[in-house]
Amino acid sequence: MSQFLVYVVIGITSGSVYGLTGVGLVLTYRTSGVLNFAHGTMATAGSYLFYELWVRAGLPWPVAAFLAVVVFGAVLGLGMERVARRLAAAPPEVVVVATVGVLLAITGIATVRYTAATLTLASFLPTSSFEVGGVFVTWGQVIVVLVGIAVSAAMTYVLSHTRLGTAMRGVVDDPDLLELTGFDAMRVRRVAWMLGGSVACLGGVLIAPSIGLNPQLLTYLVVQAFGAAAIGRFKSLPWTFVGGWIIGVVAAYGGKYANQYPVLLGLPASVPFVALFVVLLAAKPGSLPGATLRKRITTERFAPLPPRATAVLVAVGAGLVAAVPGLVGPKLPVFISSAGFVVVFLSLGLLVKTAGQVSLCHGALVAVGAASFARFSTDLHLPWPVAVLAAGLVTVPVGAVVAIPAIRLSGIYLALATFAFGLLMENLVYRSFLLFGTGPARPVDRPALPGLDLGSDKAYFYVAVGVAVATAVVVAAVQRSRLGRILRGLADSPLALETFGTGVTTTLVLLFCLSAFFAGVAGAILATGTRGAGPADYASFNSLLWIAILAISGGRLLSSSVIAALLLAVLPQYLPAGVVPYQPIAFGVIALAAALASANRFDLVARVHGDLAGSARVGAPSPVAARRSADGLRSPVAARRALEGVR
Amino acid sequence: MSTADALVVEHLEVRFGGVRAVHDLSLTAPVGRITGLIGPNGAGKSTTFNACSGFVRPTSGTVRFGTVDLTGAPSSRRAHCGIGRTFQRMELFDTLSVRENVALGREARMAGTSPLRQLLPAAGEAEVVAAATARALALCGLEASAGERAGSLSTGQRRLVELARALAGDFRLLLLDEPSSGLDVHESRRFAELLREVVDATGVGILLVEHDMRVIADVCDYVYVLDFGELIAEGIATNVLVDDVVRAAYLGTEPVPVPGGPS
Repeated sequence: MSQFLVYVVIGITSGSVYGLTGVGLVLTYRTSGVLNFAHGTMATAGSYLFYELWVRAGLPWPVAAFLAVVVFGAVLGLGMERVARRLAAAPPEVVVVATVGVLLAITGIATVRYTAATLTLASFLPTSSFEVGGVFVTWGQVIVVLVGIAVSAAMTYVLSHTRLGTAMRGVVDDPDLLELTGFDAMRVRRVAWMLGGSVACLGGVLIAPSIGLNPQLLTYLVVQAFGAAAIGRFKSLPWTFVGGWIIGVVAAYGGKYANQYPVLLGLPASVPFVALFVVLLAAKPGSLPGATLRKRITTERFAPLPPRATAVLVAVGAGLVAAVPGLVGPKLPVFISSAGFVVVFLSLGLLVKTAGQVSLCHGALVAVGAASFARFSTDLHLPWPVAVLAAGLVTVPVGAVVAIPAIRLSGIYLALATFAFGLLMENLVYRSFLLFGTGPARPVDRPALPGLDLGSDKAYFYVAVGVAVATAVVVAAVQRSRLGRILRGLADSPLALETFGTGVTTTLVLLFCLSAFFAGVAGAILATGTRGAGPADYASFNSLLWIAILAISGGRLLSSSVIAALLLAVLPQYLPAGVVPYQPIAFGVIALAAALASANRFDLVARVHGDLAGSARVGAPSPVAARRSADGLRSPVAARRALEGVR
Repeated sequence: MSTADALVVEHLEVRFGGVRAVHDLSLTAPVGRITGLIGPNGAGKSTTFNACSGFVRPTSGTVRFGTVDLTGAPSSRRAHCGIGRTFQRMELFDTLSVRENVALGREARMAGTSPLRQLLPAAGEAEVVAAATARALALCGLEASAGERAGSLSTGQRRLVELARALAGDFRLLLLDEPSSGLDVHESRRFAELLREVVDATGVGILLVEHDMRVIADVCDYVYVLDFGELIAEGIATNVLVDDVVRAAYLGTEPVPVPGGPS
């Protein structure tokens, strides 16, 4: 009994922080409609600042905590509000890329300044303890729990019992209507984001002494917050806090079994993803807030090049590829990798760019391909082409599993569910005998093809490029086929597609299977290139990075895949050594800027109301203004005007 | 009125939690005719409409098309039974060209739920799609803008594209959700004329939810009027629109109803 109590105490302490962070996340989501993937990163920033002020600058801890939590948290929140304001009407992939951009930038800054190593932070709360039912509880733990309860209760009270809270609940549904009642919608949002930012920093400062300071580890606090928020169904603050406790206690108790059975080693860390995944899949469609509200207005994504331009491009491309091995010398391996990444980005772009399905677990699919290829080729000695195809085929069922959340969810919740799935794979499956095992990497040979020695980098480079070209040809053919038309229709309006008789479920399963196949092939190409397949190459964090890089590489699927692959694999090799650590920061900032730029036109949609529509453009009416006026009767202001016209 | 070839709604009841959106509503929308469904905001028009097209599950009552019970059927099955619809917030494929939009109106149904059919057209289907697309574009006068991106068109043109897409789908009954919202008076009138032409040319039936009284008066063969979720009047358009109860509920007491959509 007392042993169980030990885990309850540990679980409730960490669970209070998870719950608190989740409460801040839900608060900002409910008031802005923007689900902030960088929420945990705000905690990272707050806790590092606390460390800086308390440990390095020697301020008393209450002063440091006040500055890091109240002041800095509010400033961060204000900054995020400015980002979120632009994203209010943007489609989900833009929201994901923008907030992931913030995540990458802040994490990158923390890594540059404090390195990726974990710093220990002494406890600033009292460590003296007392005994309850045979269990020792420290006063620090008591304080963390009480702070969690008090802050969450206060926010719940504000949201449900004050005029400001009513305004906060109303602002996301209809900011215009809210302004009619005398509230300034922007100010309401600002307050919510300042609270959210402060609470995130508070969470970071409270948990840092127990888990240490590590840029990535703290960033993943957002996942605990997602899990807690999922239990609160992304709307209830009290349930979100309770959700934090549930996750904390289950994870702590799971830790006990994980110590006994190595297979379950990843289990405690996986509790929030399991909660997130299960709740999202079990939720009734439409019961999650905002799931059906957001109307996507797609940007231009597909336009076939004229044949002559294509021919010129192909000729130039072939020439460049032929010349690369002679030009780059010892850097050839990174070009081999970039050929593999072209395949990765083609398969990811098929999902994100062609069909508008935001998937944040692509790393897991590539990992399955790489690991199974290693076994087919090294353990089973299958011929290389057979092993590559088999790796693709093995990945297909995993893709079909990812299609399940895509069938039930769309937009931001699909992004969340796939993110959870990717983390689940990473924590529970990567290290198992199924994929990479417990070693650092599975060795991969470069077997010889008949008449072709793949042992040399030069020969293999051509083979890898050949596979990338073949994939590009197939993907281009898919885009021009009936499936391609349906997929583009799916991106624009799944509703219309379904109404006109297409079984969208079938389409999604087909799409994810196809994409998974190429992801698997990509895994095989990459593994052969580096002569090994290890879990570190396919971490969930990479899936986020890939989405962000693909987003900044342009609108065309084929060209953006090549550009993204070069940016990811080749560019760092040509930067001065001192600049390389700054690369994630640059990616993050560029992704944020690109997302905001593309969100700008969506932002316009939100702002252009009847009276502004005329100023949008004289002559050719912009689609934005057209849509807005078409929806005129839906907007309460316009509807009221219309009614006044009638009476 | 024959119900053998018609969309028939019987004793429809829809509740959202404690709110009764539609109460004991029965209506018939025959093929080859234009049936109007009108009422003030919140009268339950859209709910009825959504129950017909499968986006709202009725609390009780039935929705049939001919002899086929569609009450709980998903919208893709309704499409295969011959019912098409448009949306008030136009659900066009904005990044596709007008021609591709219209073609997909037909092709989406051919693709259906079979993985093979979604990947590859069956023999002869390409010709059928091309012919249906050409006909629908011609009917709606869209040949000139067929190559333009649907997202770049004006609201009036977009409404036409939506109609053309539904016509290409070869449905027997179309549910049109406020097709004149966002159009000016002139465009609405032109749209109403077009609806009449379309019905005469193709024999399709239309169930029309509409705000614009001119459109209703111009084109509807038969009109149902809803208020607070209940049917308050039905009959020939010209009779219903001068009915005192209808005018009191919907139009206030102005003698000449001319509500133009906001534009």
